[in-house]
Amino acid sequence: MNLLNFSRRNALALALLAGLPAVHSLAATDTPTRGGTLVLGSTQALRHVNGAVQSGIATAVPSTQIFASPLRFDDKWNAQPYLAEKWSLAADGKSLTLNLRKGAVFHDGKPITSEDVAFSIMAIKANHPFTTMMGPVEKVETPDPYTAIIRMSAPHPAIVLAMSPALCPILPKHIYGDGTDLKVHPRNSTDVVGSGPFRLTEFKAGQRLVLERFDKFFLAGKPYLDKIIVNINPDSNSLLLGLERGEIQMIPYATNSTELKRVAANPALNLTNKGFDGIGAINWLAFNTAKKPLNDVNVRKAIAMTIDKKFISKALHGGFSQPADGPIVAGSPFAIPDLITYPLDLKKAAEMLDAAGYKAGADGERFKLTIDYLPGQDEQQKNVAEYIRAQLKKVGVMVDVRASADFPAWAKRMATHDFDLSMDVVFNWGDPIIGVHRTYLSTNIRPIVWTNTQSYNNPKVDELLNTAGGLLDPTKRKAYYATFQKIVTDELPIHFINNTPYHTASSKKVMNVPTTVWGPASPYDEVYLK
Amino acid sequence: MLKLVASRLVQGLALVLAVVVLNFVLVHAAPGDPVETIAGASGGMDEKLQAELRAQYGLDRPLPVQLGIYLGKVARGDLGYSYFFNLPVSSLIGERVPATLALVLTSVLAAFLTGTTLGVLSSRRPNGALSQTINVLSLVGFSAPVFWLGMLLVILLASVFPVFPVSGMRNIASDGRGVADVIDVLYHLVLPAFTLGLVYLAQYSRLSRAAMLDVLGADYIRTARAKGLSERRVFYKHALRNAVLPVVTILGLQFGNVLAGAIVVETVFNWPGLGRLAYESVLRRDYPTILGVLLFSSVVVIVMNQLTDLCYRLIDPRIKTT
Amino acid sequence: MFARNPSAIAGMLMLSVVLLVTLAGPWLMGADPFEIIAAPMTPPFSDEAMLGTDYLGRDVLTTLVYGGRATLLVGAVAALLSVSIGITLGALAGYYGGRVDAVLMRVTEFFQVLPALLFAMVVVTLFSPTLLTITLAIGIVSWTGTARLTRAEFMKYRNLEFVRAERAIGASHARILWRVILPNALPPLIVSATLAIGSAILFEAGLSFLGLGDQNRMSWGLMIGASRQYVLSCWWAVAFPGAAIFVTVLAVSLIGDGLNDALNPKLRER
Repeated sequence: MNLLNFSRRNALALALLAGLPAVHSLAATDTPTRGGTLVLGSTQALRHVNGAVQSGIATAVPSTQIFASPLRFDDKWNAQPYLAEKWSLAADGKSLTLNLRKGAVFHDGKPITSEDVAFSIMAIKANHPFTTMMGPVEKVETPDPYTAIIRMSAPHPAIVLAMSPALCPILPKHIYGDGTDLKVHPRNSTDVVGSGPFRLTEFKAGQRLVLERFDKFFLAGKPYLDKIIVNINPDSNSLLLGLERGEIQMIPYATNSTELKRVAANPALNLTNKGFDGIGAINWLAFNTAKKPLNDVNVRKAIAMTIDKKFISKALHGGFSQPADGPIVAGSPFAIPDLITYPLDLKKAAEMLDAAGYKAGADGERFKLTIDYLPGQDEQQKNVAEYIRAQLKKVGVMVDVRASADFPAWAKRMATHDFDLSMDVVFNWGDPIIGVHRTYLSTNIRPIVWTNTQSYNNPKVDELLNTAGGLLDPTKRKAYYATFQKIVTDELPIHFINNTPYHTASSKKVMNVPTTVWGPASPYDEVYLK
Repeated sequence: MLKLVASRLVQGLALVLAVVVLNFVLVHAAPGDPVETIAGASGGMDEKLQAELRAQYGLDRPLPVQLGIYLGKVARGDLGYSYFFNLPVSSLIGERVPATLALVLTSVLAAFLTGTTLGVLSSRRPNGALSQTINVLSLVGFSAPVFWLGMLLVILLASVFPVFPVSGMRNIASDGRGVADVIDVLYHLVLPAFTLGLVYLAQYSRLSRAAMLDVLGADYIRTARAKGLSERRVFYKHALRNAVLPVVTILGLQFGNVLAGAIVVETVFNWPGLGRLAYESVLRRDYPTILGVLLFSSVVVIVMNQLTDLCYRLIDPRIKTT
Repeated sequence: MFARNPSAIAGMLMLSVVLLVTLAGPWLMGADPFEIIAAPMTPPFSDEAMLGTDYLGRDVLTTLVYGGRATLLVGAVAALLSVSIGITLGALAGYYGGRVDAVLMRVTEFFQVLPALLFAMVVVTLFSPTLLTITLAIGIVSWTGTARLTRAEFMKYRNLEFVRAERAIGASHARILWRVILPNALPPLIVSATLAIGSAILFEAGLSFLGLGDQNRMSWGLMIGASRQYVLSCWWAVAFPGAAIFVTVLAVSLIGDGLNDALNPKLRER
């Protein structure tokens, strides 16, 4: 991972480059045209646009337009200057100094200073759902209006990544610092004053958002677009039609294989699967290891062997997804290639179940299980659950697919550990500290969804994760994570199925479609329409 | 008269209260709560934060206390804040009412006019071919599932032959102002209103046919005929006027079903109305919004019922209702 | 009279076909509607699947044959439930009058005012969607029409001669209600019951479409709801189950209509 090395060795070079437009893109030699409206299609209704208190991709897309952050990232995980011209992580990893550019202003004209950065970081620490992100942060010092020093209680390698647009929006202290709980602040969706390239001019709850160019954005000449309209329609079919007809120009986070096929076949449209390594979404099958017979690792392995991941990716996902074999997504610097896999082998699975003491009865049945799935993403979740049911029937395991009417019902089941098997999709969120540790640490076995609901308990894994979480050297960290991945794929508290095939579908008129590690959850200041 | 109105008002209020209380209890009894939805939308949330949110929303208090607080607010006209959007429920509803109103008014009115015409025509010769055809056609309209019809229409008239828009109330990029906007909305209204109207059409045509046949057998009609009035005059001047009454009654009561039919049609066509808001709020456990919409629609139904009743009594003083 | 009504005959024929397919079909086919038999979204009239396959690769024809059971079961039982509640409450209100009537009418009004679909959604979400909860939810919200009708009928009958005669000879209220009046009041109630089956089927289809159906039982509404996302590429998975619902409800309605004509004295005179 280059974050650290880049900032320490090339800080000077960076300072020189800081005044120029962004280092990382503008691949084409065309001059960008100014103007035009970009219409985005989204299937998820979002609560509001304040990414400091609300995570998730639905909020991230508008939040990264409205609010700037200290740093931004390119497609190789390299940090780039944004609000901060330069930055440096101390040798002991316990403080990060941000040097802010001068002359940047909020949408109401007031200057952006280190006070706002300090306020925002502490607000994120207090309110953001991901507590590990800013966990060790103790305070932010502001020796002068353009310097912020983040002080941490322990070395925290994730801190640089935590300065991303999606994770660290800089809020105006003079608006949000009025004492109201930020989670329910009235300015989260009305009269929003932000720091980013676009201002929010319309927010129709559950229907659409309109963003317009902020003329005094601190990167001169940007953004190129006049307007961005986010159109919310839960029916992805209709969004696709809109894209085909030219009413919509971009659909980020598209996953439906039928739709992707149509986009791929359409000469007027572009399809890319780049830009999603940051969120690192994995579809997996979770086992409740506290329940019989799933407490027996051999039973879990047998179940894994009835699942043909290649079939799932090819047949159920139209070839658009890639099988996933481990807890860390393939595009991450910490991923390793040689993990323990479980190729399809029904015969061996049956033998293993016999050996584990679960012989088939006269009717061919060994035992019953239930499988739940996250509602609302049928192709990635429900369909795979039904496929698994059909496969397990072949080895005598009778599975009942339990549908939850909606998300809260499923979340309740997971939280109370009222499940045997469940399909799920969980995001890595860039640095394993943010999105990976939570699933495997035995200290995180809690009655909340998306924690260690599998009741997995391995002290060695705890040690590996906690150590890796406190080391700054990426090579050393990688070694620990490698061991961790090998253990987890051997002990199988979770059987990983595939990477969620997120794609961005766009009209060929859209140039500079964001494909950095954070993809569509980054500022669109360089996007323009041909 | 005034006494009647007053007593009806009190009855109406008691009814609304009962509706609110029942739904409050039910909605809170469903598994999972809004904080879990918010946690879901966030991709996970810490215990401490969840507890903070619950306290913020008053969800950690005992149910009767929550109910009392809610009723107190409602009495003052405050429908509370949506948990999901953190916006006032009244403004969320206000934003959506015009869309649903446009949809329902158009479809019901069109259905009423067309249906009544068809029904009356078919009653001229009750056993004739036209009558039978209209009868069967209206049954077709009644029997086809609304969402199925809607989806087939979308495929046919918005995808295969792109005549109409696929979904939504307006062109996505439009500003929503001026005459151009009205035309835009009307254009988007065609398919959803037609789909929704088909069901009502069936009801009105059958009803008006039955009502006409009923009236045509009455004494005063025979008297009119005996007096030598033309069949045409008898039919249109005397019979029709009286047959319209029960149909109008149903029209008034029909408005009470605003929400049910609208939910499905609004979902198929992504029409930004109350129905969709209600449906999505149930899935999100957004209690204040669910209750707000239920309250609103109950009030509408009660008001329409009372108005219909009053009109009925004014038009026909012979009617005595308990 | 009924036998001479062509549309009613048509209705009976259609319903017979539906019942035959639904009841005998699964036994004859011996397949699993959830099983993946071919590539997803194979078009109809192909070798692998007569009516095509859905987004998962499941046979649409098998779905049609097996889906009828759940749909018809829910429709019939929910209608039975709503009609039973309606007749009971309506009869009591109409016969006793006075305070009983006033109270029962308030209750009826309460349920009439509740938005039926929304309320059913809340109930189903509350108790998690199974065939049982869906049936109960539909039954609970659909009885008001029958109740009003029954009440009107019973009010008409309670003051008639032969009923008063029964009272005079000391017959109990129960006997009068269920043995004397009800058989006479039955004709319009039967019609109402037939129509109730149609609405219950449509109601179940609607709930399933909105995602609140029983996911473990194949029903027509469920197939439509599940395939909704793919309708532009896989219209057959939506069109055929919808047609099945349509034909069934139409059949039931035609029969109800025929019964209405047959039992309605006014029309008989013409």
